[in-house]
Amino acid sequence: MAKLIYNRRRFLGTAAATGAALASPAYLRRAAAQSGGEVNIWTYNNFVPEAFKEQFEAETGIKINIRLVDDQGKQFNLLAAEQPNPTVDIMTVAGHRFLQFIDSELLAPLDTDRLSNWGNINPTFSESDWATINGHKWGAPILSGMEVLSYNTDYVTQEEAMTWQTLFSEEYANQTAYIIQDMMSIVMLMKGYDGNMVAYMDDPDKAAAIVEEAKNFLIEHKPLVRKYYDSGAEFQQMMINQDIVLGHSWNGPAAALINDGFPLGMTIPNEGSYGFVYTYNIANNAPNPDNAYTFLDAILASPEIGAAMTKASGFISTYKGADQYLTELEKKSTSFPEEQLANLQFFRAEANELKYSLVDPAVEAIKAA
Amino acid sequence: MTYDASTRRDGQSAGSTAADRTFWGRLSAWGPYHALMRLTTASPRRQFLILAAFPILWVLTQHLGPMLQMLRVSLTDAYPVAPGVEQSFTLDNYARFFGDSIFWMPFFRTLTFAGVFTFCTLIITYPVAYFLARHVSRKNQMLFLLLLLIPFWVGEIVRTYAIMILLGNTGAVNLALKTLGLIDRPIPFMYTSFSMGVGIVYLTALYMLLPLYSALEKLPQSMNEAAADLGAGAWTRFRRVSLPLTIEGISSGCTLVFLISTGFYATPVLLGGPSTTVFAETIAGFFHVAGDEWPTGAAFATIMFLAALIITTVFQRLMKMLRKGESA
Repeated sequence: MAKLIYNRRRFLGTAAATGAALASPAYLRRAAAQSGGEVNIWTYNNFVPEAFKEQFEAETGIKINIRLVDDQGKQFNLLAAEQPNPTVDIMTVAGHRFLQFIDSELLAPLDTDRLSNWGNINPTFSESDWATINGHKWGAPILSGMEVLSYNTDYVTQEEAMTWQTLFSEEYANQTAYIIQDMMSIVMLMKGYDGNMVAYMDDPDKAAAIVEEAKNFLIEHKPLVRKYYDSGAEFQQMMINQDIVLGHSWNGPAAALINDGFPLGMTIPNEGSYGFVYTYNIANNAPNPDNAYTFLDAILASPEIGAAMTKASGFISTYKGADQYLTELEKKSTSFPEEQLANLQFFRAEANELKYSLVDPAVEAIKAA
Repeated sequence: MTYDASTRRDGQSAGSTAADRTFWGRLSAWGPYHALMRLTTASPRRQFLILAAFPILWVLTQHLGPMLQMLRVSLTDAYPVAPGVEQSFTLDNYARFFGDSIFWMPFFRTLTFAGVFTFCTLIITYPVAYFLARHVSRKNQMLFLLLLLIPFWVGEIVRTYAIMILLGNTGAVNLALKTLGLIDRPIPFMYTSFSMGVGIVYLTALYMLLPLYSALEKLPQSMNEAAADLGAGAWTRFRRVSLPLTIEGISSGCTLVFLISTGFYATPVLLGGPSTTVFAETIAGFFHVAGDEWPTGAAFATIMFLAALIITTVFQRLMKMLRKGESA
């Protein structure tokens, strides 16, 4: 594969031409790079920066086809339906969903030797325990996120937002929103249980009782919630329209609002919360595997690209040194005080089968109640 | 009409040599083309079959095909089939619905909503259709219909967002009420059965309006005039003349709106709240949730399809009986 190089002059030319603030390198030597073809990517909105896409296409001749996804489950089902001849080369799987994709033989192991820029990823993400399964790496970590309590600073104080209980208080009745599936894990954590359910893998009865308790809690507090939502865009819209002043959200959509100047704050409450990492993965039987590796190596080429992804999505970059390319406001919107970060733990996949066999029916019951 | 090739050829040879030089002229003079035309237009029955072939093919591949596939998936225990898994037929997916009362609430809620919203749509659109058919001059009727069609030039999602802009806390309705001094704090219209109802009525209004307009437009003015001459007041004329004679339009409009309302997904998701979860959302959940849940989703969709079909059949029968009763 062609060696990636860094070329600031070319980057500046492209950036000026596109009028984008994104800073990114030239990815490939032009002579060697005109390999052509295409690479098909399923990913979330803004996960492939537009300026990077334009430059990559211009320099490699490889056309990037993006299909937006907003849900890990939908992505799984689409890919499962398409196997063994998928139309996708690269997907965006959350680290804690790896097992499900691997068990169904939907992902190809990642050959990190083909990625000369693999070392640009912070080892906290690239070498953590969830990143290696069955002796293989399965994805390149690109962005990390977490479940946070977001609040309109004009109406809610940070002190109030330091506990998940505020989300269920009468004071903010019908001014709150959350994603039920995610809240099930958080409510378990609030009540002192392991929301990953790894601790109850050998005790399914206890796991069922805990899920039942969390379910009953959410049903009991159902009259207080304004909306169960699914996507970050819905959350942003409700905040902007002031339909809600407080809500559980992913940090990405919340940070994007903060960067736009909306009076929003976010916390990792004292009871704790969960974090997750988005990774780019190569599909099993991908139609364009070489182009997929070219794309992956290019997008990992510099911290500026990581910063651009953070700016666009609001999620935290996994690239070393990406924060150097963020403004003070962007840094503020994508960082948390140490004492809050201490409350954070990552989602884990080991007990997913047990967990979701209990949680999914509970979610249906809450919606139906 | 049958194609008379010899006449056409004679006509051409008599005077139209310019036509022979055009593509169509050359084609019409081409032997195989003549043979094909003779074959296809030999009898009215054959002409009908040729004309009907495309619509039939369309219905089979685009309508019945997906439904049959859905039915097939609903009877399997795994779909999509994961590697190493053997697919077998089962009725468990249907049993899951009847065996778990969790799913009954959104199911009956959907049918109730669809019934109520259909009635609301009828009440709202009937006066509009009546005005259009009876009080707008013929030459202006098409213009009015065109104006009513304008919102349909954009998609369902865009129109749903328009409702959100109207009904949000910072939306036009709340702003107007606040400006008029009628409220201090915004009324939370959004994410309730009210906002969902407004959205669905708005989106389905035209499906009710057109059959009603069609029925009312056919109604002779002389009937109402005769009733008036006999001393019937406006309400009596409407109740005894206009309404019975437009039952067919009401029946068609209600059936269309009811069926569409049972299948709405995006509008309830965007406009509805925690207590308005409809069955389409439950079904969608089985397709979104990662895992082997497609067959259950397909079974639930089949159940809703059959329920809607039964309800509309009963409704149509009732309307037919009503029509017969009125005419007897």
